[in-house]
Amino acid sequence: MTKKSLIKSIVGVALAAALTQPVAAQQETEVTLSRFFGSCEADYGSVADVTKARGECGIITALVNKFNTTNELGVVVKPQVAEWATYYDQLTARLAARDVPTIAVMHESVLGDFVARKLVEPLDEGFEQVGIDTANFTEQAARGTIIDGTTYAMPFDTWAWLWHFNLNLFEQAGLTQADGSPVLPKNPDELLIQARQFKDATGKPYFGWITAGESVAPTRTFLTLVNQQGGELFRDNGHRIDMQGKEADIALNLMKQLWNEGHIKQGLDYSGAQQAYLNGDVGINVNGTWVIDNFVAASQKAGSPLEDGYTVVPFATLYDQKAVFADGHSWVMLKGGAKNEKERAGALAFLKFLWDHNYEWSRTGHLPVSKSIIDSEEFHSLPFRTNILEISSTGRTMPSNVARQRAVETIIGEEISNMMLSDKPADDVKQSIEKRVNRLISK
Amino acid sequence: MTVAMKVEASADRIQARKRGARAGQRWGNALFILPFLVVYLLMLVIPLFKGIWISLLEVDMLSNSADFVGLDNYVELFSDEIFIGAVLNTFYFVLISTPVFIALGLALALALNRPGRTGATLRAIFFGSSVLSVTIVTLVWKLVLMPHHGMLANITESVGLPSLSLLTSETWALPTIAVVTVWWIIGLPMMLFLAALQQIPREIYEAAALDNASRWRTLWSITLPSIRRTVALVAIIEVILQFQLFGQAQLMTQGGPNNSSRPIVQFIYEAGFRNWELGYAAAASQVLFAMMLVAMAFQVWLSSRKQAY
Repeated sequence: MTKKSLIKSIVGVALAAALTQPVAAQQETEVTLSRFFGSCEADYGSVADVTKARGECGIITALVNKFNTTNELGVVVKPQVAEWATYYDQLTARLAARDVPTIAVMHESVLGDFVARKLVEPLDEGFEQVGIDTANFTEQAARGTIIDGTTYAMPFDTWAWLWHFNLNLFEQAGLTQADGSPVLPKNPDELLIQARQFKDATGKPYFGWITAGESVAPTRTFLTLVNQQGGELFRDNGHRIDMQGKEADIALNLMKQLWNEGHIKQGLDYSGAQQAYLNGDVGINVNGTWVIDNFVAASQKAGSPLEDGYTVVPFATLYDQKAVFADGHSWVMLKGGAKNEKERAGALAFLKFLWDHNYEWSRTGHLPVSKSIIDSEEFHSLPFRTNILEISSTGRTMPSNVARQRAVETIIGEEISNMMLSDKPADDVKQSIEKRVNRLISK
Repeated sequence: MTVAMKVEASADRIQARKRGARAGQRWGNALFILPFLVVYLLMLVIPLFKGIWISLLEVDMLSNSADFVGLDNYVELFSDEIFIGAVLNTFYFVLISTPVFIALGLALALALNRPGRTGATLRAIFFGSSVLSVTIVTLVWKLVLMPHHGMLANITESVGLPSLSLLTSETWALPTIAVVTVWWIIGLPMMLFLAALQQIPREIYEAAALDNASRWRTLWSITLPSIRRTVALVAIIEVILQFQLFGQAQLMTQGGPNNSSRPIVQFIYEAGFRNWELGYAAAASQVLFAMMLVAMAFQVWLSSRKQAY
């Protein structure tokens, strides 16, 4: 090959590359999706049949794969997965650095902070364009995503704080009814009696709680107990927390007594609590809706300590009112995320796709947010869903006028953990919560 | 022209050329350090002053709105029991980890300062953990320390002892993080000491052997005095590094229980990214900066005194 022909070839290849590249780029509209729910590319990276996926991670991964292979708009959704504990820290850093994802998952309890700072796009017009009917949102979902009459997020689920039972151990402790369902305590005294009976019969603690490494879990239990007594912690239009009420006292004392009497397995972080439950080391795992599907799968495994012995109910009502801590996941479009109209249209198309597949997501264990799905036979036929349907009316979260709810949840949980792990007196715990939380929310 | 005059004239010419050369190259030479100066200014000096300025503001990190509050952030910091706890934890951590880095690093270097495959393999093994990320290291150690099911629990239970829960113990959480940190990055001090040991002339050891000096006497009178600059270097490096403890505490204990393992950097991170109080976080950063500066100055002063002596 002569020097001249070599140059010609190189120029030819470069031209061909230059001409084909823009065409490929034009065909694809990239939509970035910032989310938690874990990463499971090894198991579900190529699965586009959503019915074959299980668990939060599996189902969301398969949903994205399905959308990417079936949509006719040339939209490619690129997930950007973060670990959930630091998800909002990372999102904050990205916003500060102007590296804004097109779509981001967001807890409904956090949405208010972003809306107040005008960081989230209103979605009513976009929903109308793609056919998402906000009138079909469940009451809980609408309350979490519609602020002052404007829709700022597409709800994805409602989740709540539940008791996941190991019925095999409960049967051993004589705490099951004739139909095999667990005997639920109706007040704190019954709870303590049951826990002692359970420990005597099985030699194991009644509860597996997350008390280390994650701060929000004790908060959810505490707020559930306070709400069941009809207590109100926040005053002055959400700018002050008041821990001096008797409801907070009663809730803290009950938690402390359960801990001191050894009814809560000690030293467990999130994965430790999961493991302890799956190994049959505790009677009840207090956790959210998102683990239902995984526990159902474990109960279907031969030889598992949970084999044919799993059920789940909302956090048992121990006081006058039915109430359980609840929140929801939603999807938002952050301002500056969609760089052009095509990307915005692609993002809305993906939201519509997720809305249409809300039933698939509800297989995780979360409650669906579409009225037509939550009332459907298909949803009711999923395991244990009828047990937890009441959450949509008994679910309680912090009042929406409380700012920086994630930080507030973390501080409350940290202090309650201090009471259990470090024997910090309940009065000091209340004082510390007031001091630390009020510093944050009074501004 | 006599020889002496020729030499004088030649010397004058050389002198003039040297003066001219110096005058001509003075500014041109500065170009060599310009890239460093630009980076230094952009990445260190300007952020430092910007950080000080931000610490005088109340900044909402999410909305980026700011109000000037003067020294309020500093006043608030010193009445914040979580911050005071974080300061004490950080000092405690530096105090317990730095001597271990020096003593263990030196001990390993002395033990492995030998030719041959075994020495090389062991040096590679001890340095190997340093290349792991903090996420991997903490994940591995969390599995080791997991109550009831971890490796440590298996060992204690096998000898009839109760399962330990070190990360949820107020007394043991921070020392456990120190152990993990030492395991993780002991390789660097070891390598620095190895390099220093290999610089000591063989002749001194030969002379000591001829004098029938014991191994302990040789270590005390030859080895340690010869590497005292490296000891100071390792101490300074480790103090700087350990003052900035973050990842291990964040991932293993999240600062708990009861604020017993929260270092200052974690406090700064939480104030900025979780609570969105950027001004407050910047004020805490300035306090950390001042602490490190004082600690460094003290150490440099101490090591220079020893050398003079």
